[in-house]
Amino acid sequence: MRPARNQIIKKKLARTFDLPPAVLLDQATIHILGDAEAKIVNHKGLVQYTNTCIKARSNQGIIEVVGSDLEITSFSSSEIKISGTIREVMLK
Amino acid sequence: MTSLWMWWQGYVTVRLRGPGLERLLNRMAELGFVIQWVERLTTDVIIVRLRVKDFRRLRPLLWGTQVSVSILDKHGAPFWFKRFRLRASLALGLLLSFFFVLYLSNFVWFIEVRGSETLSLETLSSAVQDLGLQAGVARSTIKPREIEAELLKRFPVLAWAQVTVKGVRVEISLTERDGVEPEESGPGHVYAAMDGVVTEVLVLRGTPHVKDGQTVRKGDLLISGEYYDARGRKQYGAAQGVIKARVWYEGIGEGSLVRWEPVHTGRNHRQYAITIGNITIPVGRSYSLETHLKSEKEWQLSLGQAMVPLRFARIDYQEVEYIKVHVPSEEARKEALRMAWDNLKKQGVDEDQVREERQQVDFLTDAEGVRVTLQVEVLDDIGQFLTH
Repeated sequence: MRPARNQIIKKKLARTFDLPPAVLLDQATIHILGDAEAKIVNHKGLVQYTNTCIKARSNQGIIEVVGSDLEITSFSSSEIKISGTIREVMLK
Repeated sequence: MTSLWMWWQGYVTVRLRGPGLERLLNRMAELGFVIQWVERLTTDVIIVRLRVKDFRRLRPLLWGTQVSVSILDKHGAPFWFKRFRLRASLALGLLLSFFFVLYLSNFVWFIEVRGSETLSLETLSSAVQDLGLQAGVARSTIKPREIEAELLKRFPVLAWAQVTVKGVRVEISLTERDGVEPEESGPGHVYAAMDGVVTEVLVLRGTPHVKDGQTVRKGDLLISGEYYDARGRKQYGAAQGVIKARVWYEGIGEGSLVRWEPVHTGRNHRQYAITIGNITIPVGRSYSLETHLKSEKEWQLSLGQAMVPLRFARIDYQEVEYIKVHVPSEEARKEALRMAWDNLKKQGVDEDQVREERQQVDFLTDAEGVRVTLQVEVLDDIGQFLTH
């Protein structure tokens, strides 16, 4: 119950003070540039990496990037940059 | 930027083989590893690029796992420098070449002319050379605005000129005037440009004021611009015609009856000089030219057609003593006559047009020379048109 209550308070705070919810709520952000590049910010770890599918954990669930010739161009504790041909991005 | 920074720091391409590679990547990321260009080869093999200092921290992470690591390649500045440390002369050569190229880029190597149709390249080339623009000169010495102004002044056919310095290339863009003839001159008369005796009068327009055999002085009116047209009306226009006359020119030349001739003492000296741009560095001492004859041989470095501003010169000095030698009077007279002719040619006398010549030979009062006064008679068009 407590995390859910925390989330509600943070949401209210974000709305009241006009703060970016992604930062306050520790949410993951996904940027997609055409079908060639994707960036997952604030991930919580790499789950699976193949040439056709990259899965990363986040507070909202598993982020799944599906495509072909996928490659991780840079990887850090907060950010994953993916290049290749992206077909789908899903949150499961 | 990240790639450049990684290159500067040095990085390695490593192959990781084993199960649970995602877990290992997460662990590396948590520890602040900079992981770049991760490629999945097979289910249990990935290739990653890591900074050298991160690679050193990788080994402890692999303890107790079944993941093996191997270096495939090394990249970046530290490896370059290491390679060059082993080949110091190559590194030095590269560094020197870099500075040499940097130095050479301060000079103009190519001159491009555009838009010149009637003006020949040779004429333009010699004109711009006079103005200090040629292959091999320092870029800082070029004054485009002055060259443009001077080109327009020297070549009236040019309507526009632009000089642009683009790196080691100078572009001269020209636009020539359309074939517009200068306007016909206004009314005026033809006057005598010099003294003479008229031998031929040919009037194309106007009224003649002299006739054959008449002696005229400089400034006398030869052809007046006034004439009567077919209807008998008096007109006033530009006088035109040819007035040939016998005119005289005088040229004076002097020849010496003594000559100082150098006699070699047998002592020779050699000096070298290296010229870089406008700076000449002599190697060895110079000798007075009053007591030495100087001969010079020069080598200019060139890269294909481009001239590099680097010249080497070998200068030979031969020590001499001057002795007084008497010159035969006939030889001195010939020398004086040659000089007199040179003098006449400078006044515009064509030797082939001379009808009559008179020579007067005088010995100079100090008895060390002879003077020839040469007077020649030629047929010349003495008419000179002047407007009012």
